[in-house]
Amino acid sequence: MSFLERHPEEALFANRRLQAVIGVVVLALLTVPFVTTDSLTGLILTGLVFVMLGVSWNLLAGYAGQISLGHAAFFGMGAFVAAWLTTPSAAGFPASIQLPILVAVVFGGLAAALIALLIGPVIFRLSGHYFAIGTLALAAIIELLMLDQRSLTGGSTGYYVQGDLSINEFVSHGDVMFLLTLVATIVTVAVTYRIVQGSGGLAMKAIHDDEEAASSLGVNPLKYKMYAFVVSSFFAGLAGGLYGHYTLYINPESTLAVTWTIDSLVIVILGGMGTFAGPILGAALFLILDTGLAAVVGGIATTIEGALIILIIIYLPQGLYGLAEDYLIKDVDGGKTSEAPHSADPKAVTEED
Amino acid sequence: MVAGELVSQSIVNGILLGGIYAVAALGLSLVFGIMDIVNLAHGHMLMVGAYVAILVFAATGITPLLGMFIAMGLLFVLGIVLQKMLLKHVVGEGIEQPIIVLFGLALILQNIGQQVLGGDSRTADLGIPGDGIDLGFAFMSLPRTVTFVVAVILIGATWAFLQYTKTGQAIRATAQNETAARYMGIDTDRIYTITLGLGTALAGAAGALLSMLFPIDPYVGWSYLLKAFAVVVLGGVGSILGTLVGGVILGVSENLGALYLGGGYRNVVSLLIFLGVLLLKPEGLFASGGSAE
Repeated sequence: MSFLERHPEEALFANRRLQAVIGVVVLALLTVPFVTTDSLTGLILTGLVFVMLGVSWNLLAGYAGQISLGHAAFFGMGAFVAAWLTTPSAAGFPASIQLPILVAVVFGGLAAALIALLIGPVIFRLSGHYFAIGTLALAAIIELLMLDQRSLTGGSTGYYVQGDLSINEFVSHGDVMFLLTLVATIVTVAVTYRIVQGSGGLAMKAIHDDEEAASSLGVNPLKYKMYAFVVSSFFAGLAGGLYGHYTLYINPESTLAVTWTIDSLVIVILGGMGTFAGPILGAALFLILDTGLAAVVGGIATTIEGALIILIIIYLPQGLYGLAEDYLIKDVDGGKTSEAPHSADPKAVTEED
Repeated sequence: MVAGELVSQSIVNGILLGGIYAVAALGLSLVFGIMDIVNLAHGHMLMVGAYVAILVFAATGITPLLGMFIAMGLLFVLGIVLQKMLLKHVVGEGIEQPIIVLFGLALILQNIGQQVLGGDSRTADLGIPGDGIDLGFAFMSLPRTVTFVVAVILIGATWAFLQYTKTGQAIRATAQNETAARYMGIDTDRIYTITLGLGTALAGAAGALLSMLFPIDPYVGWSYLLKAFAVVVLGGVGSILGTLVGGVILGVSENLGALYLGGGYRNVVSLLIFLGVLLLKPEGLFASGGSAE
């Protein structure tokens, strides 16, 4: 009954030294657009999108235990809805619905959340393997339908998004998008943290561990699965909208492709599924792997990623976070949490004292 | 209005294609029914089997009907290695770990396919001269007819293997009750290994058969996984006859969907049928009473 215990990571952000680290990281990220090249800014922006995807997928899969293989659909639909709102004429919509980018990407997230809200009650009739395959099929249907709607999505030619947020010759469109994505990432992390810390997070973990037991204790499984699904989809859609307005080009074959689901999954597995900091660490590692490996080993980068997630899930199911916890958090926390490895019986710890 | 001849032709083609879908689905169904694992890499294994047949055909001109056996042997070994090296560690520990291991394997197979053969699609052909059969209302082309016959033979052989051999009986016993099977002296670890090998070999066979009909590229894995799973759901897990019927239903409805709605909707139709059955009748249309839960 691991959900009854307080995981060490729940104290993560209460720790002062960690707060300081987070502050430094955020400040460092704030300076990125001003001190680095455009391509490096773009790379780190991609990393932030990875954080949003990983954190949101982890809420649904790692906490609520619903292995969705349809995350790409929400990312992609967020991107398309936001693009329709900033560039309505390209999809044949009246120019009057045009919205500024900031508002449009929020609508992109809301649209993704709405889709989740509508299909959730149906798709959650499935569980386990059936849920995984069902969401994979659902994402495939959405991709195929969107690809077929050439007037709305540009089909395989793609959709060019208009947007220019550049302030002057030093602060480009990409730089502003970076800052927006940074804010969105912080919001994603903060909101998800609040959820997993609160009663909702406990209920999700209870459903993950034993749905029937949770249900008999008065936790409504559908309610909390929906909660996780809708929030998770909102942030995936938000990430999609932001990314689409950074690249200014989206395409059903790439923006809605299963690749985004794969990335989310790899990020979470690398970092540690069901741990809060895991996806954040995982996104950083994945960014390095994805760009570093491609440079070193060329085309077989995906093979190495595939092998890595297999090995990690078998031998290191807590991922990078598990490693960090063993070697770092112990020291950061002054040994407080290290006495209670979270899989152990809490009583055993008191007896040791 | 679509001409009646086109409709009957689509139905005949769909039935013939359905046989191959049933072979692919049977492999997935066996593994799911007995090991309670959905082989997410099943479609990618099918892709590997197709490529083996295509490469053998391109290099030597040997018909994929024989190349199929090479593909099956190779995939059988892959299945055994997969079980012994990886899945053994994660089976019985919830669904997350097997799903992720197989997902990782799918990525690896797709990437290897891309690297070895490039992203272009390739195809083999039957390599045997001969005419098809004209039924009057529709034409059964030779490759489609031959692949359908081979598919039905493979399904029959699998059924006979499960029904009449000692190993087959042990597999069915393990599916019914693993603990009891073990008490009866069945080495269930060995049964799982054989089952996975058999399931992946059937994926290889389906791939080799498909390579004679359709172009194959390294990205077809996901799509064929969903089709195979759709057939499993239609037919009910563990039902061999149901799988054959499910394959035919999928093949026919795909072809009719493509005919009436346009080629782009071929896959949408099959996915919608799949989701529909999954949601409305999750035990399958033809669930056998004693099938694995």
